[in-house]
Amino acid sequence: MSGTADSRSRRALAALRRDPLALTGGAVLVLLVVVGVAGPWLAPAGVNEVDVDRMLQPPSWSHPFGTDELGRDVLSRVLVAARVSLQVGLVSVGIALAVGVTLGLLAGYYRGWLDNVLMRCMDVLFAFPVLLLAVAIVAVLGPGLGTAMIAIGVVYTPIFARVTRAGVLSVREQVFVRAAVATGASDLRIMRRHVLPNIAAPLIVQTSLSLAFAILSEAALSFLGLGVQPPAPAWGRMLYDGRGFVTEAWWLGVFPGAAIFLTVLAFNLVGDALRDVLDPRQLTLSEARRNAG
Amino acid sequence: MSSTRFRMAGAALVLMLGVTGCTAGESVDVDGAGESGSSAGGVLTAAISGEPDQLDPHRTSAYHSFQVLENVYDTLVEPDANLEMKPSLATKWTTSDDQLTWTFNLREGVSFSDGSPLTAEDVVYSYNRIIQEKLNASYRFATVKSVTAPDPTTVVVTLTAPTPNLLANLGGFKGVAIVEKSNVESGEVKTKPVGSGPFTVASYTSGDNIKLVRNDSYWGTKAKLDGVTFTFVKDPTVALQNLRGGEAQWTDNLPPQQVPALRESDDLTVRSVPSSDYWYLALNQARKPYDQVNVRRAVAFALDREAITKAAKFGLATVNQTAIPKDSAFYYDYAPYRRDPAQAKQLLAQAGVTGLTMDLMVTSEYPETVTAAQVIAAQLKDVGITVKIRTLDFAQWLDEQGKGTFDAFLLGWLGNIDPDEFYYAQHHSSGTFNFHGYRNPTVDRLLDQARTETDQAARKQQYEQVAKQIVDDASYIYLYNPDVVQGWSKQVTGYEVRTDRAIRFRDVALAR
Amino acid sequence: MTRFVLRRLLQSGVVLLGVTLVVFLLLQLVPGDPVRVALGTRFDPETYEALRARAGLDRPLPVQYVSYVGHALTGDLGVSFRSGRPVTAIVLERLPATLSLAVTAVVFALLVAFPLGVLSALRSGSVFDHAARVFSQFGVSVPDFWMGIMGILLFAGVLGWLPPSGYVALTDDPARWAAHVVLPAVTVGLVTAAILTRFIRSSVLEVLSEDYVRTAEAKGLRTRVVVLRHVLRNALIPVVTVVAVQLASLLGGVIVIEVLFAWPGVGRLTYDAVQARDYPVLQGAVLLVAALFLLVNLLVDVLYARLDPRIRVR
Repeated sequence: MSGTADSRSRRALAALRRDPLALTGGAVLVLLVVVGVAGPWLAPAGVNEVDVDRMLQPPSWSHPFGTDELGRDVLSRVLVAARVSLQVGLVSVGIALAVGVTLGLLAGYYRGWLDNVLMRCMDVLFAFPVLLLAVAIVAVLGPGLGTAMIAIGVVYTPIFARVTRAGVLSVREQVFVRAAVATGASDLRIMRRHVLPNIAAPLIVQTSLSLAFAILSEAALSFLGLGVQPPAPAWGRMLYDGRGFVTEAWWLGVFPGAAIFLTVLAFNLVGDALRDVLDPRQLTLSEARRNAG
Repeated sequence: MSSTRFRMAGAALVLMLGVTGCTAGESVDVDGAGESGSSAGGVLTAAISGEPDQLDPHRTSAYHSFQVLENVYDTLVEPDANLEMKPSLATKWTTSDDQLTWTFNLREGVSFSDGSPLTAEDVVYSYNRIIQEKLNASYRFATVKSVTAPDPTTVVVTLTAPTPNLLANLGGFKGVAIVEKSNVESGEVKTKPVGSGPFTVASYTSGDNIKLVRNDSYWGTKAKLDGVTFTFVKDPTVALQNLRGGEAQWTDNLPPQQVPALRESDDLTVRSVPSSDYWYLALNQARKPYDQVNVRRAVAFALDREAITKAAKFGLATVNQTAIPKDSAFYYDYAPYRRDPAQAKQLLAQAGVTGLTMDLMVTSEYPETVTAAQVIAAQLKDVGITVKIRTLDFAQWLDEQGKGTFDAFLLGWLGNIDPDEFYYAQHHSSGTFNFHGYRNPTVDRLLDQARTETDQAARKQQYEQVAKQIVDDASYIYLYNPDVVQGWSKQVTGYEVRTDRAIRFRDVALAR
Repeated sequence: MTRFVLRRLLQSGVVLLGVTLVVFLLLQLVPGDPVRVALGTRFDPETYEALRARAGLDRPLPVQYVSYVGHALTGDLGVSFRSGRPVTAIVLERLPATLSLAVTAVVFALLVAFPLGVLSALRSGSVFDHAARVFSQFGVSVPDFWMGIMGILLFAGVLGWLPPSGYVALTDDPARWAAHVVLPAVTVGLVTAAILTRFIRSSVLEVLSEDYVRTAEAKGLRTRVVVLRHVLRNALIPVVTVVAVQLASLLGGVIVIEVLFAWPGVGRLTYDAVQARDYPVLQGAVLLVAALFLLVNLLVDVLYARLDPRIRVR
């Protein structure tokens, strides 16, 4: 059965290459990863190079994105902050993926009371608007990068559990799984070798879209002052700090916001294209809940 | 953008006493001209930067609450523009020879805004409430033995020790206001307080505004305005836009970076006066190497206070190397430090310190500490000190401060008046807010002496010695005294910015 | 039908109970003593003891939980640490502002999304369809608070057409309410519109591909009539769900937008409670929002089942 998965991913790649929007999104993502890794070296100035004699300067050759209220180079901060966004996205979606898939597998594979209990728990988490729950969690744990990642991870877990469970239910009764059971393979082995590869498609799509939303959520938390704490640069935080100066220094509002927008757009474009190819019928629950909070 | 809580940062105290001899505003407007009925009228909208937590004057500690309550409540005496105590509900008072009994004569015919009379019993009730329930202002009654009302217009306060400051304690701010018993007991005081002041609370829309209307039975000169609406506008840019767009006529929340330009503009009036708040950097002397005076002095020599002030306050503050501001009678002109990286490095070398990493604790509750920390970090980097900034929630910040788990912290003290309040708790070895572990027997002795010194000249001298020693030892590294900055539309007349940050609209008129 | 409704009702009840548990446990997550933390500088032993006792924090955890749920059932969500007022009253006060913003935003979103979605489905593959796709992609990717800032910059700053922020109650002054609601509602509404456009488009496309539509077309009915009579009615059923879910989540208060525009709704209440560490208010607001969210979902499911008997799975 792994042959199907392989050919599907090959088809997916081919389709992506034909879709100009997805291609653009992909290119932006590659760029983003490069900046995320090499940001500090690409940045023309240090992120915390304070100079009160050059504060709030408009974009110029020496400071293409201008300077902020402490005279720091905005371009450098935008570049270095890419890493924070990617980090939050990857870690929080990683948490959601690991926990969600595990719970979804258990629920879908064993059914019965376990399924009931787990999925009702997921329903409970699902009953909260995304950002509201994240804000509440961060509020009680104390603001910071770590708690923001945990909060976002928790918030996106139910989506993965549901997608996984639905997938497991659909492959569970298929011949190859039954055959594996008949040969006496262990549950763990069956799940890993036979079930997971066959539900990978919706999970890949969901991961890509969730990355977009996770980055957006982090930006929103930082914009509320609950995410990354200064002096570390983060896009949402830069907007928060620059809010009071935006009327006389538009560059403080435009560039960090544009960075968030482009990153999220890139993940969305790729995610959409993947969905069109891999899993055209998947309900984009996360999308319907995008506004939540 | 946390609201500026009106309290000493780090303490549960709220002090708004008069700075002795502090001058800034010119004179009080005492025009008896407009008797009731002839008022120009109109409703003034005041955009304040945050929302009161509640309107019970004895329970709140939020500055935003006092902005509103200043216009709703009265105290026995109140500070004038020079922060000298003047008659208010009490018309006169006498002190016994042993200084232990104060007798206040109340104004006749004063009533609460709901019509019930305000008598000596209400004063007794209010003070006992603060004392017995240990409310915020209870420390102001520390020497008060009893408060009694021999007749409806006489209040007698007996003391356990002479208290020259008693008037300031009983009238410094509206946290010691005279409240109405039934209003307190019904619980309505939290949202619909009943006072005897020039205005009365008409409505409170949580999250948006508080509307005051003129109290027509006010005992003093009736307010000219029909009412005052306080709106909560967190964002200074928006507050300014509201002011320009006519949605508000007054604000204390102007974008600091625009203030110099706004001062020149002809559509608005922008005024500022120096406050008695101070902001400082403290190094933890219980930790190495900050126990060495040379290390602390090195830090003091590494700082460029002008730059810090420019970043944190956009220059709306006065750089000061001591605590007490220039306008105070207790001001001591002493500034031994200037930015001198070479000197700083030399001092560090003398102390045998290299490659120092400093854990600097700041709080998001006071964003200016976060800003200042980033500038300080850059400056200390030049002398080889690496600063790791830790931005904490205020509750956690206080917790760590209490436990002493920090190398350094930044904070301010707000509303201090008497030099004792500036120095004792912070620098006496047994001081309740000496979290940075400063110990100097000379300073201890001087502080204890000055506390009970009745000769003002001697007292001033003692405090000058204290100030010099503290600065030389770099117990606190003082940075600046911020300004009180407020702006209003040209329609507004009769308003004065006060150094104690009290906002009084009773003499204000609105041209239409 | 009745059985389905009953089952959903029971399910929602169970979930709601779980929601109360999560909300209740939130307070246990606070590192240290929540009352101590909440009081901060306002700490004094008596207030502390009073608040602790009032919050019932001196009792064993299960007892606390049972009493929390018991009180919540009677509408008592405790008292605010900050103001001492009942949480229920505080939260309910904020509903009108949130409601008026949410409804306006959804109406705006529908006005944009409906024609956009239907037309792009009918002209699938056309330039218009691509433009609509770009629009919706833009809408789901743009951070709403960033768009809000840009909106304030442009319409309140440069052009000066609209107030930058603030709120006037609809009942106080409808005209000024309208002026204030435009920017936040459009900001929120644009994101909602982007989501709705996608759903409407795919929903219409799906119905268009179904047999009975083809039959109708074959019978020679003019396309317009087909669209109006069959397609829209059937396509809109799933859309109703999405609209309701959107509305429900907006009712929970769009925290960021309410904060940005100083809109005194439930979202900003939550934010202020976070800032003030007023945990009972935070709990109350979150609980109310989740309950509202559940209720709307329940209603939608029931409505959905009525409209389209084929779908009763979930």
